[in-house]
Amino acid sequence: MAIRPTKIPNRSFTPTQAMPDIVDIAVTTDGFSTLVAAVQAADLVDVLKSPGPFTVFAPTDDAFAKLPPGTVQTLVQNPPQLARILKYHVVSGKYARADLAEMEELTSVEGSAIALDLSDNFEVKNATVVLPDVEADNGMIHVIDTVILMG
Amino acid sequence: MTVSLPKAELPLIPPSNHPFADVIHRLESGGSMLPDTPENLMQIIGIYKAYAVPMDFYWRDLLYIAEQVFLEPLPFFKYFISQEYLDLPNHYAGDGADLRIWRGTGAAHPELLAFMKQGEVNRRWPKLLHHLWHDRINMEFAEACMRAMLWHRQMYAPVNKFDAYLDTEEYRENCDRAIRAYFKNNPAMLGLYKLFPDMFVEKVRELSYYSNLGLFWEVMAPVFFEMSDIYDEGGFEGVPDAMNFLVNGIFAVAGRPIYHHLYVDGECFEIIPKSKGFTWLYEAALPYVEAVFYRTAPFRGTKSYNAQAGQVPEVQANFHYGILYADVFPVGTAGIPPTLLMQDMVHFLPQYLKDYYQQHSRGKDDILIQLGITFQRSMYNVTSAVIHALRQALLHPLDDDNPKHLMANRQFFEMQMDRFIRPEARLRDIQSPDYR
Repeated sequence: MAIRPTKIPNRSFTPTQAMPDIVDIAVTTDGFSTLVAAVQAADLVDVLKSPGPFTVFAPTDDAFAKLPPGTVQTLVQNPPQLARILKYHVVSGKYARADLAEMEELTSVEGSAIALDLSDNFEVKNATVVLPDVEADNGMIHVIDTVILMG
Repeated sequence: MTVSLPKAELPLIPPSNHPFADVIHRLESGGSMLPDTPENLMQIIGIYKAYAVPMDFYWRDLLYIAEQVFLEPLPFFKYFISQEYLDLPNHYAGDGADLRIWRGTGAAHPELLAFMKQGEVNRRWPKLLHHLWHDRINMEFAEACMRAMLWHRQMYAPVNKFDAYLDTEEYRENCDRAIRAYFKNNPAMLGLYKLFPDMFVEKVRELSYYSNLGLFWEVMAPVFFEMSDIYDEGGFEGVPDAMNFLVNGIFAVAGRPIYHHLYVDGECFEIIPKSKGFTWLYEAALPYVEAVFYRTAPFRGTKSYNAQAGQVPEVQANFHYGILYADVFPVGTAGIPPTLLMQDMVHFLPQYLKDYYQQHSRGKDDILIQLGITFQRSMYNVTSAVIHALRQALLHPLDDDNPKHLMANRQFFEMQMDRFIRPEARLRDIQSPDYR
């Protein structure tokens, strides 16, 4: 499998190149080790490697670190509960920033709505997208600075 | 001559015009709905401790009823908890805990065990005599809270998926398997089940809420004990510290599974499996707060209501009979549930709180009212913690520098305070130390 080292790939892949999938990108990019560990603990690797396509709002390690102590530990101990929180960060379909410009909300794979606000910045609920439009073979990743929660 | 004015930082958003603007500004600066005074801190921590002791019984017995007593047709002994459940190690305290944030051993609290032996009469009567004399932990209070959650179904839906699950075919099938196993040696009950399946399933729904509330309180008991210990060690500077401790606790266990298991001859039947992904925060804590703190049922102690005359709201969401609105007056009639809780807490007050009540109002004679009002103050603080936890989870930091974000926080706080505008709310009262 062709995995490009460390750098987030830009969107100028030619069809002949094997494009990494969502999981490959998260694994090979610095700053997503918590997310990768969580996806593994929740047994969602295969889902996120499937054809999809998915749009993933990917919280950075710093985003997870902002949660009070114990939050991640309890979730990692309980894979179904963790999976639910992670599924809230995933939307079915491939949406680039431009596709979302006029939209007010998306429905997550978890089932709850995710509010969007692209009027000033690119905001997903109470998170701000710090790096939009990372294209993967099976979807699109937008990197966010806060873990988003249902409600 | 030039005068250099102190550089006052202009607030990024204008002040609120809400009737509770003062409280909202306090929340925006990281405070609680309860004013930050040493007296308030002392009261709420003392009552958390007095609450945690009976709660340590409530959660164990709720799980005992949900998992063992189950559909016992004549459940006379459901409050006679088995030794196994009295000894259950708490999942969130003790050396074997899933998460070791709170100290404590995980075993039943020593004051609880002492009380269960001797009771208020302080005599070693047989258990049945203590029970009939009502000299015991009042499990009826815990059941009233559970029933409030059951009555007010659909709370916090659709994010709360627990309640919707109770109406699924999958849940029915799980119930069916459990009921058949439980009554496998009881053809009479199996016959009744065949005739009235819905009634049985509805009873199991209630038992699922026993489990829900038990799992919720299993966490709260060690949290409150820990807060009492921290206070005794001088660890809390003020009411906001106590509130923030609760906020952190809410996050720490937010992902705890909420489930309902039944044990028949040691075999586990998963009525609501852990794999459904139901969580402590969404499926237990938030519905609990809504049902018990805000809504409950129209019994307020001295007053009864006439639903036909429109004195009770038609929409259940507008019910406002919870502790945040309660006229705390313990009479043994319409207001039984709060009366029972006060009676449970009076046995476990720390000395400083006993001394404090002695100095006010009618001293020992109206101690139940005094501690009930302290309890009300303490629950305004817990509600503040829930409001801040929601703000932290769904909105923005208090020190955010984006005015749009601060405005979103403001609107959230105002929306929460709107619920206390109605005259029955006690938010105004608790602002004054003289409300007792």
